[in-house]
Amino acid sequence: MATEQETITNVEKAGETEGPVINLKDLSKTYKVGPNTVRAVESLSLEIPRGQMVSIVGHSGSGKTTLLSLIGGLTKPSSGRVLLEGNNIWNLTDKELSRLRNERVGFAFQFASLFPTLNAIDNVRLPATFGNSGAADDGNRAMDLLGLVGLKSRAHSYPAMLSGGEQRRVALARTLMNRPRIILADEPSGDLDEDTEADILEIFKRINEEGVTIVIVTHSRAVASQAQRMLRMHRGHLFEELE
Amino acid sequence: MKRLGLLYLAAQNLKRKPFRSFVTIAIVGLAAGTLFSATLLVKSVDRSLEVGLERLGADVMVMPEGSQEPGEAALLTGSPTSFYMEESVLDQVRAVPGVSQASPQLFIETLVSSQCCTGYLQLVGYEPATDFVVEPWLRQNLNRPLEEDEVVVGSLILANKGEHVHFYGKDFSVAGVLDTTGMGADESVFLRLDDAYEMAVESAAVADDELLITPGQISSVLVKIDRDTNSDLVAQRIRTGVAGVSVITADDLSRSVTDRISGFKRGFIALDAIVWVMSLLTIAAIFSMIVNERQREIGLIRAMGGTRNFIFRLMLAEALLLTAIGGAAGVFLGGSALFIFKTVITSSLGIPYLWPPMWYFGSMIGGTLMLSVATGAIASLYPALSSSRLEPYLAIRRGE
Ligand SMILES: Nc1ncnc2c1ncn2[C@@H]1O[C@H](COP(=O)(O)OP(=O)(O)O)[C@@H](O)[C@H]1O
Ligand SMILES: [Mg+2]
Repeated sequence: MATEQETITNVEKAGETEGPVINLKDLSKTYKVGPNTVRAVESLSLEIPRGQMVSIVGHSGSGKTTLLSLIGGLTKPSSGRVLLEGNNIWNLTDKELSRLRNERVGFAFQFASLFPTLNAIDNVRLPATFGNSGAADDGNRAMDLLGLVGLKSRAHSYPAMLSGGEQRRVALARTLMNRPRIILADEPSGDLDEDTEADILEIFKRINEEGVTIVIVTHSRAVASQAQRMLRMHRGHLFEELE
Repeated sequence: MKRLGLLYLAAQNLKRKPFRSFVTIAIVGLAAGTLFSATLLVKSVDRSLEVGLERLGADVMVMPEGSQEPGEAALLTGSPTSFYMEESVLDQVRAVPGVSQASPQLFIETLVSSQCCTGYLQLVGYEPATDFVVEPWLRQNLNRPLEEDEVVVGSLILANKGEHVHFYGKDFSVAGVLDTTGMGADESVFLRLDDAYEMAVESAAVADDELLITPGQISSVLVKIDRDTNSDLVAQRIRTGVAGVSVITADDLSRSVTDRISGFKRGFIALDAIVWVMSLLTIAAIFSMIVNERQREIGLIRAMGGTRNFIFRLMLAEALLLTAIGGAAGVFLGGSALFIFKTVITSSLGIPYLWPPMWYFGSMIGGTLMLSVATGAIASLYPALSSSRLEPYLAIRRGE
């Protein structure tokens, strides 16, 4: 476990920008499927201030994954704008956008997303190798993060040797590797047992307290209720959920 | 802590499907190996011809009628032979217009079992006064003519300078060893014509096998032509002017070798072209498969901040790594095969052989490796490009 005084993410030190960290303006995403047009996200606007933890619930197919991908710049909107920390991300070059993803955004995916050819610690280190942070001490940081998710002893195990829950925890450590200021999590505890879910939620809450902005898509009431703000997605539209 | 660099990631990826990687390596290796060994073989034959004919120094060779074939074989590969004609041929040849120098040689095929070696070899008697084959070498390396009962030996004769060898009961001392030419001279022993005659006469008394040669017999006349004429013309004049002889030119000799390997050359060019095209297609197909299989990983790398450029280089690196290994394996195995089967190939084709110099080897190795790697680059270019252009979201989704 990381020591109590030490922060996991160092968000405070990162550059402060006025205004919302995530700002979506009139965002739409449509897919052409044969003769039909699927409106996965429709005229959606959303502002999320720094340090907020937001949960999104909704039926499957309502557009949650598409929305997270739009926020992280993994897919281009059909119309509208995505601003992260004030930057219109589709005005950036591929290099700049990649750097932004590398340094500021951490994705947590629903599925097992480890690289089978790399052991646990190398999987955790991977994001550091895409940046230009020098990464001299990335091994130490990766080990600390494995400690945080309780898997220090499995540092040299390959994904195939880890259980589903363990893989998910290693992936979470990887998400945190580059001290992201924004975390986009797509059902991070979808098929996990309650204990693992609680552990992961615990970590999310802790980094949120350090100032990290978190958007978490979940089916779990328990997880959703931990967020400061609950949103419901329905047919490409977002609604504020009032408790 | 080791760096998780591009090459490391690429190498790890190749270990995933060992069989598939092996197939790619094998096919590139086959292409590189055949190219390398065939080129080397052809080059070695050319070089041997060049060096050997230079050593021979003759533009035209005159032999007894009907002995052209064994004569060529003796010159090219040193297969021992003996045929004789009268010395008077020499003067007739000298009288032919365009002949600048002419020197007789006497071939004696002999079974040796001396302290050094056993087996058939070719004794070549030459006339010191007119010779232009051994004498120039002697002048450079020995600084004196050959003395009585001395021989110089070809590089494949296992005798060192200063050692003694026996032929037909006569004792000779080895005055020097000639440089390798890859041609018949390497397996020949050169002695003075007078010594050869003397040996023949004495053999009746001292040798188990009498040598049935009478002084005045010769086997061939080597001819150097005047500068302002050409060997075909002079050869033609000798044919019409001198009775009972066969005439071959140095050009005929190279042409005959070139003909002998041309079928082989053509076969190899065709085979190799097919194999290269196959490697190109295989690599392209395999890398399209790889891109498909790894869509999700590609998307994940992009989500973690890997650039398009990184994905492109990663795919390319995998292809280059495979083809570089394949090329190196091909060069090594092709070279080894040639080394091992060299004798079989050269003796069955009846061709001379001399390994090319080191720099040529080096540039051949470099060239073959570069061609292999270029094949990898070209074949994987499209898959690498399309993988780098995948939209991260779709890549992750499609990989589901
Ligand atoms: N690449 C795609 N092509 C076509 N339709 C898609 C594609 N991706 C998502 N969709 C459609 O968009 C809608 C929203 O999908 P998604 O964002 O995955 O929803 P959720 O994550 O809430 O289940 C669904 O109807 C889905 O079928
Ligand atoms: Mg989803």
